[in-house]
Amino acid sequence: MAEVDVGKPLPAITSEAKPFWEAAAQNKLVMQRCRDCQAYVWTPRPACYECGSERLEWQELSGKGQVYSFTVIRQVVGRAASMAFEKEIPYVIAWIDLDEGPRMISNVVGCPVEDVKLGMTVSVVFEQQSPEVWLPKFKPLVS
Amino acid sequence: MSLRNKAAIVGLGETPTDRLGSKPGEPRKSSAEYLAWAMRLALDDAGLSLKDLNGQGLGVTIPTAYPQPFWPEEVAEILGITPGFLLGGATGGAGAVSLIGGMAAAIHSGLIDIALCIGAAAPFSEHFGGGIQPGDMRDWEIPYGTMGPNSKIAMVMRRYMHEYGATLDHFGKIAVAGRYHASLNPLAYLRKPITIDDYKNSRLVADPVRLLDCVMPANGGRAYILASPERAKTLRKKPIYLKGFGERSNPSYGPRAGSNTLVMGVKDAGKVAMEMAGVKNSDINFLQLYDDYIIVVYLQIEDLEFCAKGDLGFFERTDFTYQGQLPIQTGGGMINVGQPSTAGGMLHIIEAARQLRGEAGERQVTNAKTGLVSGLGVLPYGKNLGCCAVAVLGNEV
Ligand SMILES: [Zn+2]
Repeated sequence: MAEVDVGKPLPAITSEAKPFWEAAAQNKLVMQRCRDCQAYVWTPRPACYECGSERLEWQELSGKGQVYSFTVIRQVVGRAASMAFEKEIPYVIAWIDLDEGPRMISNVVGCPVEDVKLGMTVSVVFEQQSPEVWLPKFKPLVS
Repeated sequence: MSLRNKAAIVGLGETPTDRLGSKPGEPRKSSAEYLAWAMRLALDDAGLSLKDLNGQGLGVTIPTAYPQPFWPEEVAEILGITPGFLLGGATGGAGAVSLIGGMAAAIHSGLIDIALCIGAAAPFSEHFGGGIQPGDMRDWEIPYGTMGPNSKIAMVMRRYMHEYGATLDHFGKIAVAGRYHASLNPLAYLRKPITIDDYKNSRLVADPVRLLDCVMPANGGRAYILASPERAKTLRKKPIYLKGFGERSNPSYGPRAGSNTLVMGVKDAGKVAMEMAGVKNSDINFLQLYDDYIIVVYLQIEDLEFCAKGDLGFFERTDFTYQGQLPIQTGGGMINVGQPSTAGGMLHIIEAARQLRGEAGERQVTNAKTGLVSGLGVLPYGKNLGCCAVAVLGNEV
């Protein structure tokens, strides 16, 4: 098990997002999907933002996707940033386009930052941040 | 409802920008001081007095780092105004342009016949704490170590370069044109001309975003005064008419869970504004585009349909200086004049009005009759900018 890192800012576990974090703690990537229009809905919310339906259900995803774009963080800057990230530098912030369609912000881990490329296929891994929070991150998919 | 010719800009107030407070022991000014200064300049320019603003419109941009929900009311108290219609610019950096639409509608309705739109911030002199972050940012971005807007715009820029093959030369050309204009603008903060190589060699801030891609935060205050066309004719300066206005907040091109980040809401806001104004692209003499980053200026030129998406040749052959085919950022933009938080976006309205009055000095666009201004604000999760407002201004009815 990864060392629990309590220094970094943690997400608030809101009522809409609770099922997501419960699944993540089981190392499952889940997302809301609309029963009426079949749209995936991300981030978690009370109703479908494509059709307004409240008939959303949680579905498990493949956990696979592609790097849509990324940047490399080499410096902690900005009023909302935490110095707790300094020891991770350099690290990758990426937009991951999941195979099911939705785009997530995450980190690409498990390879040198120089190896990250657009279009690269990745799969989810979970890193524990607190007793409740396991963050989904993505590592290169070795075929 | 069309707002064409229903309101006119009659007063401009722009304080110089500074970065006082960035070094220990420096003298400091508060945002209240920049507000009072900007208002005084705008009133003098219009030939109005403070008393003329009572019972009228007051529009206030809300700074990002001032977590006080009643800020517009506090500004009224600071300035000594009793407004009859008080509006907060709730669209972040787009607020300055959003306010022109809201206030013009209020003027057209007869509710008011003058409006002061104003904003100020002193991010180097005053520290109100970090403010409250939007839920998506708090829960789904910051835990990954995102570093504010730089991280997201860097991803937009890299994706654009990947899809269309744009290079630093394409972006650098816009940075060089903006700085050239700043060198001709006595109110600009960064005035030393730069070359493409200076741009390419500037420090990487968030790969591929470089220092010379980024807006420069500054202390300062800015204001403009709107009036009904009838009232405008009685005032000191040549009225600059609002010809068209359009706004799109929370745009998504494609499914909301995975939209095209390379298309911006100015596409639709611009279409609405230009249709209202009854103008074509070829009628527009200059653009003053919201410029938190160079790539954002670049994408807006495409999305306003001055060229097709990915038409690199257009950027290679077009002269963007004030003497060129498509003058942009004719005062240097916020990137060179400075961004006092959300008051930053006022700059583009002020510069457009100056050009249309013929008061732009060395950087005057010849025979300027019609100009387009944009405002942008907020970077939502997984998308390009979330609030987009466009105004078309002109100097003839
Ligand atoms: Zn739906």
